[in-house]
Amino acid sequence: MKVKMMSRNPDNYIRETKLQQHKLPRNYDPSLHPLEGPREYVRALNATKLDRVFAKPFVCNLSGHRDGVSCFGKHPKLLSALATGAYDGEVRIWDLANRLSARSFIAHNGFVRGIAYAKNGERIFTVGDDKTIKVWNSLAPEVGEEEEPVNTVQCRYGLHGISHNRKDNSFATCGEVCAIWDEQHNDPLKTLKWGVDTLHTISYNPVETNVLACCASDRSIILYDQREAQPLRRVLLTMKSNKLAWNPMEAFNFTVANEDCNLYTFDTRKLQTPLKVHFDHVSAVTDVDYAPTGREFVSASYDKTIRIYHAHQSHSRDIYHTKRMQHVVCVAWSLDNRYIFSGSDEMNVRMWKSNASEKLGIIRPRERSNFNYQEALKEKYAAHPQIKRIARHRQVPRHVLNAQRKMRAVKEKDQVKEANVRKHSKPGKVPYVSEKKKHVLKEEV
Amino acid sequence: MEDGEENHNPKAHKKLLMAISSLGNVQHIQKSTRDERQTLQDEFQLGKGVRSAESHHKPRAVGLNDLVQILRASSKHIKTGRKLKNIQSTKKVLEKPLEKPAADRIRRTIGYEGVTKKLGRWDAVVAQQRSAETQIFPIPSETIYVNTAANAKSLKTSIQSALAKALEASKLKLHELRKAQIGDTADEKALAQQERELRQMKITRDELFARRKELAYLKMRESQKSARSRMQNKIKSKKFHKLQKRQKIHEQMKEIELLQKTNPEAALEKLNALEKIRVQERASLRHKNTGTWAKNLQMRAKYDRDVRKDLGEQLAVGRQLTEKKQESDSETEFKMTQDVQEEDKEYDPFNPWTKRKVAGKAPTEMAGQVSNWRKYWTERNQKAKLLEEDHKDLKDVQHVENVDIVEEKLKLDPKPKPSKIKLKKSKVSFENGWKVEKVYHETNVTGESKIIDNIFEGSEEKLRGKLTKKLKTLKLRTDRLKEAPAKSKKVKKKDSLKNLKHLAVKMTKKRVEVDEPLYYEIESQQQVDAANMGSDPEVAVDSAVDTIDISKVTTLVWAQKERSSGALNDALVNDDDAEYDEKDATTLHQLTISQAFEDDDIIADFNMEKTKDSELKNTELQLAMPGWGSWAGAGISQEVMERRNKRNTRLLLRLAAPEKRRDDNKDNLFINETSTKQARQHLVSSVPFPFRSLADYEASIRAPIGRNFVPETAFRMLTRPSVTTRKGQVIEPMDDSDLVKPERRLRHIVDKRIKRLPKVPQNSQKAKK
Repeated sequence: MKVKMMSRNPDNYIRETKLQQHKLPRNYDPSLHPLEGPREYVRALNATKLDRVFAKPFVCNLSGHRDGVSCFGKHPKLLSALATGAYDGEVRIWDLANRLSARSFIAHNGFVRGIAYAKNGERIFTVGDDKTIKVWNSLAPEVGEEEEPVNTVQCRYGLHGISHNRKDNSFATCGEVCAIWDEQHNDPLKTLKWGVDTLHTISYNPVETNVLACCASDRSIILYDQREAQPLRRVLLTMKSNKLAWNPMEAFNFTVANEDCNLYTFDTRKLQTPLKVHFDHVSAVTDVDYAPTGREFVSASYDKTIRIYHAHQSHSRDIYHTKRMQHVVCVAWSLDNRYIFSGSDEMNVRMWKSNASEKLGIIRPRERSNFNYQEALKEKYAAHPQIKRIARHRQVPRHVLNAQRKMRAVKEKDQVKEANVRKHSKPGKVPYVSEKKKHVLKEEV
Repeated sequence: MEDGEENHNPKAHKKLLMAISSLGNVQHIQKSTRDERQTLQDEFQLGKGVRSAESHHKPRAVGLNDLVQILRASSKHIKTGRKLKNIQSTKKVLEKPLEKPAADRIRRTIGYEGVTKKLGRWDAVVAQQRSAETQIFPIPSETIYVNTAANAKSLKTSIQSALAKALEASKLKLHELRKAQIGDTADEKALAQQERELRQMKITRDELFARRKELAYLKMRESQKSARSRMQNKIKSKKFHKLQKRQKIHEQMKEIELLQKTNPEAALEKLNALEKIRVQERASLRHKNTGTWAKNLQMRAKYDRDVRKDLGEQLAVGRQLTEKKQESDSETEFKMTQDVQEEDKEYDPFNPWTKRKVAGKAPTEMAGQVSNWRKYWTERNQKAKLLEEDHKDLKDVQHVENVDIVEEKLKLDPKPKPSKIKLKKSKVSFENGWKVEKVYHETNVTGESKIIDNIFEGSEEKLRGKLTKKLKTLKLRTDRLKEAPAKSKKVKKKDSLKNLKHLAVKMTKKRVEVDEPLYYEIESQQQVDAANMGSDPEVAVDSAVDTIDISKVTTLVWAQKERSSGALNDALVNDDDAEYDEKDATTLHQLTISQAFEDDDIIADFNMEKTKDSELKNTELQLAMPGWGSWAGAGISQEVMERRNKRNTRLLLRLAAPEKRRDDNKDNLFINETSTKQARQHLVSSVPFPFRSLADYEASIRAPIGRNFVPETAFRMLTRPSVTTRKGQVIEPMDDSDLVKPERRLRHIVDKRIKRLPKVPQNSQKAKK
């Protein structure tokens, strides 16, 4: 009988010094790995499960406001600074790294309606219900000094929102009219008006910085160019849009948060039909903000939840909620694409991770490559039913689930009715209307 | 009395008369005369001018002519007067501006166009970003050149090195020397400041120019548009208006065609409205004498009485026809058959030729031909050549059909006229089908010939039916041909995102996109689930069942492996082993299954297992317990009980019909369906979204990506994340610098000078040569 001897040279696999890595001789011949498919599948399954195990998105709660939080202002350069305004007129500047309120002052009588940082972050502009625009220094005053605005502009019109140009020294306010201001002047450079309805939100395009958009209370979205003397175009939706956010990486796309529980992504050049309708919320959507990568956005809703959407998909990727979070009023995505801030009616500002299971802190290269591998595996097997089930399984509050059921029932009823009407009328008389086209009433020139 | 006469004052009398005469005029407010410049015009001054009794003509504004007349008086100003006149004749007066809403709309559309164009610049970048396999944020920008020398601050004196001090001292010395020798008094700092300002000025000036240019362009566009909208109605060219009208009608027709599909009733209404407009137009006496023929007649009518008469007749006919048309417009339309309707398209009540052709000539011709034809046949029948004729007739019918088909093929040009085709066809068939012979008129028809006549009538009808059918199909086809280009045109017009779509690059690596709602569950169970998730019994099962979907996922690998391992074995294994293998195989062949399992009755077992579950499924289960429903007493009969239980569906569990086994009809085959049940829940049931075919999808998940199966570099490449961000770094929105590659920075001085060379347009260069 022949005995096969196994002989190995330790030089091939033992490292010479402690600092070297172990050599791992591998034979990649596929015939030697007959179960590579199943092994990877199991790895993907485990990675998905671990992902859900570690999915703890809530980072911290920033408490200090004495009334509901109404608006956010993101510092364009600093990641650790966030300005928040409240219903009692108080503005707080947060030091996010230390989770502290760095500064607070009463800015307005009544609501703070909007906060905007200047383009370099040196000044803060706030508007409130008292019809004033106030300019604040972003640096805290010296010890013993009073908090005083650098400048106060009294307006004739009510003010509902403010947005600062990313490249210029100009900013825009909305209210009864849309007004374009220069930082140096106390009078608006220009007022743009179309119709008589109140404009409740305004947003500058971050890329093509002359373009801005407003949402009006007559359910319309109006586009402006700050150089033109006239508004550009108006789209009328079936219900009011609450907020509008431009995609920072795709200059022509913007998303509106609508009162009818949906969000709509539009292309500025084709306003008759939205590019995408984003479903899943069960109550009015109050705010929306894009991730700085432009691939995702986050939305806040009256149904006490936050949802994260992929910009080109109609269903949400994730849902965040806590027991104590009430109606979420404002939401913001941090400029390093890592965190999400939400301000809600019950006076708290919450900080979430944008990727629920992401590890915070230092990640070693080996860890990083392992995470990458897990991500790749999850992506590869994303369509497999078990993996999909685990990855997309979410716990939601009972009221959300009930509302969802109700909405589904209503929708089904409508569909059944439409089908019946179609069945009993002349062919072609009841046309099929796509979901996208249902929500836009008209585009006005 | 005489005093009274003497007192008669003609002036006062006149005034009185005037007052009396003006009593009838309602307006008492005199037109105001202006003696001072006013910023505001009083509304009471805008009264109608009261006509004075003296001046018979209307008082008119002072014209330029009057001024010129006055200027002509003095020889000094004659030239000026002429100039003024010239100016008036040559220079155009500015148009009245458009109404505000219209002007605003134009401005808005122009602004919107400009913005869309501006936004369109980003198409390429966005398309590229979307299709990129991996994205890095912040977007890595091109190299930025910063003139660090300009920003360098001079060192503070306290830490100035000796060398710096020496340098400064020498500089000072040089400066003073200059001052002393040449009288150079220029302050260097001031100079530098001036230079900087100048540079800034230059930049702002350039910017200003650009801005002015843009403004001018916008203004031009606006004025162009407004002028166009204003002028279009004023254009006198009849051809233009004709074309425009035709275009409008064309558009409306298109709309109607579209409507026909979606909303036929509305389409019909619209068609009626169009028809009405047309009829009104025709009846409006506008086109009575505008034709070439009528015009020629008019020319000659001056000299020729007959022509005048003709013209009068023509007009009279026209009048008559309009009356008729208006009367019977609604009635006749419904009665008309399809063919007639087709002809109706060309029908023009004021054109005597079309009228005659349609109403009188063609039918009579047809009828005449048909009657002749029939008579001809009856005559021939008398000669008792029935059978032969019949044969011939059949052949002819076929021939006619052939001719038709050929013609259809010929007539498939984009604008065929169905009615004309029909006429032609009938003619051709008559002329080509038979030889033209002399026709004898004979009226007496025998009984025999009557029957034959009937036969022919039948065949004729058939022929006619066929013709109409073919016409219909032909019309449908032509309609379709007409529709196709219209549709494509519309699509072209509408799509404003075409560029973006065109630019979209096909992704090299497709990723599965799961766009469906999340799977929700009520929150209270969360903790239990979380606990489960950690130490799942399922996990153990899963890892045990490793045979999940090998067959699906790794088919190719299997094939490869078999081949390669075979080769490997051949190379490695000794000859002895090979011999042994052969022997083994032969012995195996000898052993049959029955020999191996002599004791067991495996066939019976086999069949039993196959029928096992189906038996179970056939049964009906009684859920009723003894005593249930029997409170009527102990004496109740068994039959009644059974009947009652059967009727009560709650107490009788009827199982669903047994599933059909895949091996039902195959006696010696047993497919074990239960063994794959655990694996089945792990298998993908349908091809996921971006993939079109199963093969594509399988190909995408077939290759392994793990470290254990692919080399390290490949592993790194395959597991690159789709988005990479850096911690603590702000991701700025897209910038103009991403849009265009910055110009190459020229370092060599010659290159710079070449670049600065004035660019002479090619035309002028040629001209110089």
